[in-house]
Amino acid sequence: MKRREFLKSTTLMSAAMLFPNYLLSAEARERNAQRFPPSLPHTVDGDVKVFHLQIDIIQHEVVPGFKFHTLAFNRQIPGPEIRVHQGDKVRVIFKNNTELNHTIHWHGLHVPWRMDGVPYVTQLPVMPGQEFVYEFVAEPYGTHFYHCHWGTLLHMQSGMYGSFIVENDQDPIREKFPYEREYTLIYSAHDSNFIRNELNAMLERMKERIILMKSGRFDKKRFAVFNSKEEFERAVEGGYLPPYVISRRSRADLPQPNWFTVNGKSYPMTPNIYIKSGELIRVRLINAGQLEHYLHLHGHDFWLVADDGLPVPQPWQMNTMRLSPGKTADIIIEGKNRGIWTFHDHDTSRVTNNGLYPGGNLLALVYEDLPPEETELNMMARKMGLTNLPNVALDE
Amino acid sequence: MNFHINTFAIMSLFVFLFVGTTNAQVDPEIQLGARGVVSFNTDILNQQTTTAVNDFSDTGLLLGFRQKLYNKFRGQLVIGFQFPDAESDLGQLFFHQTFIKIENQTNILKLGRSRVRSALIEFPTLRDDDALEFTDVLNPFSSGENTEDHQYGNVLEYAHIFKQRWWIRLHGEHFTQTPVPPARSETDFSLNAIGASFQYRVPETQRWNQPFLQQIGIGLNNFILDQPGAAFVDRLLKNITASLVLNLKPDPIHFVDFRAQGILNYGLSRIQRITDFATMTRARSIAVFSSVRYLWRQYERPTLQIAVSAGYKYFPDLTQPSNQYQVVGNVLYRLGDNFDAIVQIQYKQFSGDLLSVYDRNETRIQFGFVYSIDQSWNNQFDDRDSLLNLEHGYIP
Repeated sequence: MKRREFLKSTTLMSAAMLFPNYLLSAEARERNAQRFPPSLPHTVDGDVKVFHLQIDIIQHEVVPGFKFHTLAFNRQIPGPEIRVHQGDKVRVIFKNNTELNHTIHWHGLHVPWRMDGVPYVTQLPVMPGQEFVYEFVAEPYGTHFYHCHWGTLLHMQSGMYGSFIVENDQDPIREKFPYEREYTLIYSAHDSNFIRNELNAMLERMKERIILMKSGRFDKKRFAVFNSKEEFERAVEGGYLPPYVISRRSRADLPQPNWFTVNGKSYPMTPNIYIKSGELIRVRLINAGQLEHYLHLHGHDFWLVADDGLPVPQPWQMNTMRLSPGKTADIIIEGKNRGIWTFHDHDTSRVTNNGLYPGGNLLALVYEDLPPEETELNMMARKMGLTNLPNVALDE
Repeated sequence: MNFHINTFAIMSLFVFLFVGTTNAQVDPEIQLGARGVVSFNTDILNQQTTTAVNDFSDTGLLLGFRQKLYNKFRGQLVIGFQFPDAESDLGQLFFHQTFIKIENQTNILKLGRSRVRSALIEFPTLRDDDALEFTDVLNPFSSGENTEDHQYGNVLEYAHIFKQRWWIRLHGEHFTQTPVPPARSETDFSLNAIGASFQYRVPETQRWNQPFLQQIGIGLNNFILDQPGAAFVDRLLKNITASLVLNLKPDPIHFVDFRAQGILNYGLSRIQRITDFATMTRARSIAVFSSVRYLWRQYERPTLQIAVSAGYKYFPDLTQPSNQYQVVGNVLYRLGDNFDAIVQIQYKQFSGDLLSVYDRNETRIQFGFVYSIDQSWNNQFDDRDSLLNLEHGYIP
């Protein structure tokens, strides 16, 4: 055997040995595909697309070894992706399986105002065991999302969010950047201690309120709801103490997030984005959390093509972008620098897990056509038991 | 002295070695509990009136530290002290709690100075010891000078919990002996009592699930008396306790409950006369104590509480009929978060041999304030009895 053939055969053998755990294996890519929100199936009633969403309390594993109790649409975080065409008539039947109140707000969609999901502004909350039907026409085209608007500070970071994509057959972005594959990444930040304390306090309070509601004792002051500002002012003048003066729930501390997730997972369980050399991919970025993120892609520039779902008149290139709370942004990445590249929040306090770097909002852009031999490590690394790049590092 | 120096040196080295190898640590959860009780008392003993302007006994402070252990268990250290009763000989401060607890979802091990299992339930009185002769199994090693002798001791306790609500406890105690005998060693904490209890109890967080039966339990306390030459069984002073708590009206606004506890002290058959406190605790007796409590919770928090309690105790084996009874009534009004004003009136009457220990009757009128706080920092995990853990799966 010639030396070149020997090297080639040994390289293939070692690659084959490494393959089962390797990022480029079919199994790894299949597992990775499950880290993106699945599309929510629908039925058709006449010309209306009918979707079903329910809300439950579940135990959610952010990374192996850390679980917390959360709220979850259809028992998953994020909730399933709703994907429709522009102009579709949409009906979402929402069932509340928890002992808490909820609504759904359709963020970025031009729905009738009574469908906007803001409690005590557009509707009463959907109370425990109740069902509410949201109906609207899917407008405008683009990347949007839905989230709970009751106790928003708690319920959003507890996992009540999901992507809502409105497609258009004459998509100007696809016409300009002909892509085949696209990915949805939903960012959030969670204070697991705040969530636990608040959820417990709210559950306890609601057990009490459910008894009162069942017996018809729906007292406005008790529920801290008034008909008007004037009525509220008169109540305070009459001795009523508002809940922000005597906190009726848990303590007054605002959340200090200690977990930062992409599609409900923190590094190293975050999803990877796959690309091939010469390929264009579209990435839909949604910030469903309360913090700003400064997303930086290594080794590439990308085009910002849509802001809040709206195509930007002139896409422009950058490698770091600010994603504010409530924002959506669509970017196009061109595969022109083969390798494995990190895509992360450059506020590195969000690249942590429970205070420890690395973690959080850290994921990778992975070229599928990367030759396995480029990922090999030297002899020293192999002596440590490491096989190939990338490794999973938990404490740097 | 040399022994102490060497021990200290070895311990220092031991701690130093651990510090050297474990630089990183998880901050412990820090808990702070405080209860301030101040009352103005007027006592009428056999028609003679005395007044205490400022009684702050039972005021205490607790400091706790908790964290997760490596194996789904949790470890806790609690240190606490309180101001003893004015007439006690315990000094200015009494360390009533200094213990370590190790627990998981269903097992609890507690070691150290703590509340002894001399009662199965608590009653709505201003101070814990207001009806001690009825509510607690009395310490036969005590001179009767300090009520703390009956409430606190060095404990070794194991508890196992079945199906969230069934508790089995096995416990051994070293009860304080007063007057303190000559020390046999520096650490004479050998057990002088052993016992067990079995209880069904509804967690506080689930009170609005409205179960009628809140608690029912039975307990056994055996004091091991110091009687040289006697068989072990003959040295045991046996007490059986039974308790019951019922929610008569489990309503969130107008809440009424009923509590009752009975203690049967088998006593020592040879004791037919009470001449002092020791013979009183060792004579056969039957005590019952019960209370009815009304609680008005105006806006999801206690506003007003009215409670009436009564107890009766008699000693069937004495040559002279002897009994005692007590009635306690109090009203609490909440002035602010955890800050209450209280008025309490109690009347006690004694007959027969008990007059060698107590006055014939005693009336006490108290007006006071109670402020209690319960705070924690660095929260890391949930409590066993939180609604999330009870109703949505336990997370270690």
